[in-house]
Amino acid sequence: MPKRLLRRAFVLGAGLAGALTSAANAGEYNLTVDPVIVDTGTFKRTGIGYNGATPGPVLRFTEGEDVTINVVNNLDETTSIHWHGLILPFDQDGVPGISYPGIPPGETFTYRFPIVQNGTYWFHSHSGFQEPDGAYGSIVIEPKKREPFQYDKEYVVQLTDAHPHRGNRIMRNLKMMPDYYNRQQRTLFDFLKDAREKGVDTALADRAAWGDMRMMPTDIEDLQGFTPLINGKSTEQNWTGLFKPGERVRLRFINSSAMAYFDVRIPGLKMTVVQADGNNVLPVPVDEFRIAVAETYDVLVQPKEDQAYAIFAESMGRTASVRATLATSEGMVADAPELRKPSLLTMADMGMAHEGMDHGSMSMGGMSHTMPDGRAMQGMNHGAMNQGQTNHGTGQMSDTHKMPDGSSMKGMSHAGTDHSGGGGMPTMKHDGTAMAQEGHTMPDGSIMKGTSHGGMNHGAQGMMAEADSFYAPGSGLTPSAANGGKFLSYDDLRAQKPLYEYREATREVELRLTGNMERYIWSINGIKFADADPIRLKYGERVRFKFVNETMMTHPMHLHGMWSILDTGKGKWNPIKHVVSVAPGTTVFMETEVDAPGQWAFHCHLSYHADSGMFRKVVVEGGPKDKSAATTTNMKTGG
Amino acid sequence: MKIRIASLAVFAAILSDSPASAEQWFWGVQAEQLEWRSGEGSPAYAWDLDAFAGTDEYKFVVRSEAEYGTNANAFETLENQLRLQVPVSTFFDAVAGVRYDSPDGGPRRTYGVLGLKGLAKQWFEVDADLYLSEYPSARFEIEYEGLITNQIIFTPSIELDLPLADDEATGRAAFGPKLEIGGRLSYDLLDRAIAPYVGVHWERTLGESGRLVRDEGEDDDVVSFVVGFRVMF
Amino acid sequence: MLRSKLLSAVFGASLSFALISSGAALAAGSHDGGHKPNTGQPGDAAKVSRTIEITMYDNYYEPQSLDIKEGETVRFVIRNAGEFVHEFNIATAAMHEAHRPEMMMMVEHGVLEPDRINYDAAKAMQASMGHGMHKEGNSVLLEPGKSGEVIWTFPDTGELEFACNVPGHYETGMHGPVKLGN
Repeated sequence: MPKRLLRRAFVLGAGLAGALTSAANAGEYNLTVDPVIVDTGTFKRTGIGYNGATPGPVLRFTEGEDVTINVVNNLDETTSIHWHGLILPFDQDGVPGISYPGIPPGETFTYRFPIVQNGTYWFHSHSGFQEPDGAYGSIVIEPKKREPFQYDKEYVVQLTDAHPHRGNRIMRNLKMMPDYYNRQQRTLFDFLKDAREKGVDTALADRAAWGDMRMMPTDIEDLQGFTPLINGKSTEQNWTGLFKPGERVRLRFINSSAMAYFDVRIPGLKMTVVQADGNNVLPVPVDEFRIAVAETYDVLVQPKEDQAYAIFAESMGRTASVRATLATSEGMVADAPELRKPSLLTMADMGMAHEGMDHGSMSMGGMSHTMPDGRAMQGMNHGAMNQGQTNHGTGQMSDTHKMPDGSSMKGMSHAGTDHSGGGGMPTMKHDGTAMAQEGHTMPDGSIMKGTSHGGMNHGAQGMMAEADSFYAPGSGLTPSAANGGKFLSYDDLRAQKPLYEYREATREVELRLTGNMERYIWSINGIKFADADPIRLKYGERVRFKFVNETMMTHPMHLHGMWSILDTGKGKWNPIKHVVSVAPGTTVFMETEVDAPGQWAFHCHLSYHADSGMFRKVVVEGGPKDKSAATTTNMKTGG
Repeated sequence: MKIRIASLAVFAAILSDSPASAEQWFWGVQAEQLEWRSGEGSPAYAWDLDAFAGTDEYKFVVRSEAEYGTNANAFETLENQLRLQVPVSTFFDAVAGVRYDSPDGGPRRTYGVLGLKGLAKQWFEVDADLYLSEYPSARFEIEYEGLITNQIIFTPSIELDLPLADDEATGRAAFGPKLEIGGRLSYDLLDRAIAPYVGVHWERTLGESGRLVRDEGEDDDVVSFVVGFRVMF
Repeated sequence: MLRSKLLSAVFGASLSFALISSGAALAAGSHDGGHKPNTGQPGDAAKVSRTIEITMYDNYYEPQSLDIKEGETVRFVIRNAGEFVHEFNIATAAMHEAHRPEMMMMVEHGVLEPDRINYDAAKAMQASMGHGMHKEGNSVLLEPGKSGEVIWTFPDTGELEFACNVPGHYETGMHGPVKLGN
C-alpha cells in the first residue's frame, strides 16, 4: 500500500486524538520577510524572500486547523502577506489599505484564521513590487477526507518569472516607454519575409492596420527579458523531483509569476488534471496546459520508465522557457525541448473579428480558422490534429486528416483550399454535409456512420476538439499541444464537488477590462483604481460578473475572499476558481456567492497591471455582524 | 505590547489621511540626441534631451536642446524649456510651458510654449509647439523608429522651425523656415539605456532666413556626420 | 435484430457499456492485432465458488486488489458508495486503455454525466451515430448508490486488472491488480 495512505491514516488519527484532548487542531508557524539575493545562474540581484529564501517555504496546513502565523518584517519598508485563494476573515487577508495597514519595518504581525478548505495555494506580498522581487511561497492544505485520487509522491512546482530589474524600475520603464521590454517587435526582416510570402501589398496593409491602431501583434508579453524558474531554479540549475518507475506523482503547479503565463508539458507523459485553483475537478487527462498568472493546477503523472522526464514550461509569448526534471536519481537531466515560435496576435484579439477586417493579411497563428466573414468555424480545432505533419501554409491538404490516434477523418473537403492566407476557407464545409455521408474512422477501426457535424458539437473527444471558446475566434493566442494531443481548456474543468447550490445570479456586474497601452495605464470600465469607487456587494447575493476584455492583453482576474465560479456553461459543475483568465477580445462570466463580509481586493494579477490601475476595492455590505469589522469600514484604500 | 501600539499608530494614520490611492510618481531621462557633429559646418557637440517627473495626469518635463561649437567654444544654440504635459487624448498630451534661449553671443529670448506631443498613427512620434513672444515661432518635429532588428534601429527625424515674425538678431526672418533632417542608426547596447549611434544630420535654412544666415557668413545648407549615444534611464 | 437488443440494453438497471457500431462486430476480431488475450469469460452462476463484495468510492475500490484462483468463477457484488458514476471492469491494462476513449465519447455526448447516466442522451447518441451500448459480461457501470453483479470465470494465467474507465478515474488510481494463483 502506498505510504501515502498510511501517512494519511496517521494524520487522521492524530487529528482525532487532538480533537479529543484539546478544543481545536491548532498550529503555529513563523515567517520572516528578508532581503535576499536572487541568483538565476544568468543574473544576480537583490530581492525579497521568506525565511531567508525565495521562493519561501511550503506551508503545510490541515483542513480544519486554526493557524497562527507570526510574520516578522526584516525589511526597511512596510510589507504584507496575502494568502492567495484562502477563505478567511477579511482582516487576515493581508492587503494593505483594504484588510489592514500592513506590517511596518521591524514589526511582527500575527495572522490567525481557520483553515476551511484544502488543496494547493500560495502566499505573497501585496505591497508594492515585493512579490515580483521574490516575496512568494506556497501553501499545501491536507484534506480532512480522503481525496478522490491516489498518489505516491507529491511536489510543489512553483513557476516564477525572475527579472533582472526590480519591480519599481520595471514599472518606471513601462511608464516611460510601454514597449521598453518588448524585444519581439516586428522588424524590417519580418516585413521582407512577409512581403515575400504574402506579397508586398498584403504585408504593407497588415503593417498599416496595426500601425493605425498603434498596437503590436507581438505584444503578448508586456514584460520580456525574465528568466523563468521552477522552485527557484532555472533550466541550468535544474530543479529535480525523484520518482520510482510506476509511482504516481502529484505535481502541484503554481504560477507565482509577476507577468508570465506558461504552457506546461512533460514530454512522454500524460498529465491528469485533478485540481484547479485548489478545488478538485473531475479528472482530465491532458498533454499540455496553460497556467495563468496566480492560478494553480494539480496534475497526476505516472512515469513508468527509468529515465529523466522534462517538466517544460514555455512562456505564452515564447520569449523564455524553463526545464525541470523528474528523475529516478539525482544528477539526471532531461532534454529541454526547443522553444516554439511565438504566435502573433490577430485582429480577433483586438476585438475586431466582426468588423470585417481583412483577415487574409493576418497571421492566424495556425490554429482555429476564422471564416472570411469573421465567423469562427466552431468545432474545428486543427490544433488537435497532427498539426506537425500537416502543412497548412501551403494549401496542400489532402482530404483525409490524420487524427492523433492515427485513425483518419475522411471527407473534409479541404483539398484546394488556400490556407496560406490564414483566413479564407471558402470551400470548407462545416455544416456537416461533407462529413455526414462519409463516416469517421474510429480509433478501434470501426466506422462511425451518418454523423452530422452539427450533432458533433459535443463530440470532440479524442477525434477533434472544439475551438477553445475562451479565446476569440481566430485568436493568435489559442494554444495547441506540442505533440498534437489534448490541450486543457477552461471548458474541460468541471467542479468535482460544487461548493454551492446552483442558482440564478441575483444581479450582473459588468467589468470592462480596459487600458491605455501607450501610457501604460490599466483600468476597469475605463477608470483606474486611484479614481474609482469601490464595488459594493450585498451579503447573500449571487453576483454574476461579466468581464469584457477590451484590451489586447490577457488578464488573470482575482477576487479575494470569495470563490469565483467560472461559467463554462456546465451549470452546477462550473469550476470553482480564484483566478479567471480573460483572453483578449473575449467576454467571460463568473459568479460569486457573496458570503464573506468586509472589504476585499479585486484585481488583475499581472503585477504591473494591478499597480497601474486594474484594481478595485470590493465592499461586502451586511452579513454577520461579528465578522464585519466595524472599526475598519471607514478605512481608505491604498493598495 | 510595543508592536500593538505601533500598529495602532499606523492604523490611525491610514484612517485619518490618504486619498483613495495616491497617484504614483514616475521619472525618467531620455536623450534622443547626445552627439558629436562634424562636417561642412564647424564641429559641435549637440544634445536634445527630456527629463521628466510626474504622474499619469501631470508630467513636468525639462527639455534641453543645444549645439556647442568647439571652434568658438561657445553655445551656438541653447534652449531650455520647462513644460507641463497633460493627457488630452489616448495618444496625445497638451503641453504648456516656458522656453528660455541663452546662446553665447546671441540675444536672450523667453517664450511661452503651447503644444501637442504624442504618438500619431503608424508610430510617428510627433511634437508640435507654438512659441509665443514678440518673436513667435512654430516648430514641428516627427521621428520614427525603424527596427532593422530589435536592437539595431534606424531613426529618421524631421524638424521644421518656422519663425512667424522677423528676429534678425537670431538670424531668422518671418516664414523663412529652418529644416533639420536626420537619420541615425543605433544599437541598443545595454537594454534601452545606452544606444550608440552614427548618422547624418542636414540643416537647411530657407527663404529670407537663409539670406540672413548667409549674410552672417555662415552656410545655409550644412551636412554633418554625427556619432553619439541615445540614453534612457 | 442487433439494434433492438442494444436499445433494450440501454434501459437495463445495471449496464456495462462498450461502444459498438454496425462495423464494430467486424472490427472486434482484429482487436489487439488478432491476438486477443484470454481474460476469461462470463461465468455460470451454478459454478460460482465464492462471492466477493466490491465497494466503489471516489475514486478507488475497496478492496484494492483481488486474489483469485486460476480458473475460478467468482460472483462480484459491486456497490457504488461514491458520488460519481463508476465502472467495475475486468480486462487487461491494454484493453482498459482501449476502452477509455469510448467512455470519453459517452461523456462528450452527455450519456455519462458525472453523477448519473443520461438514458435520453444514450438514445440520442444511438440514433444519431449508430453507436450504442451493449452489455458485456466483464463489466458493470453504476450510478451512485446503485449495486450490480458480475459473474466471471477467470483464466489460469494472465495479467488482469479491475478498473474504472470513466474519464480520469483510472489515471487517478481507480484500478487494482487481479492476482491469479493457485
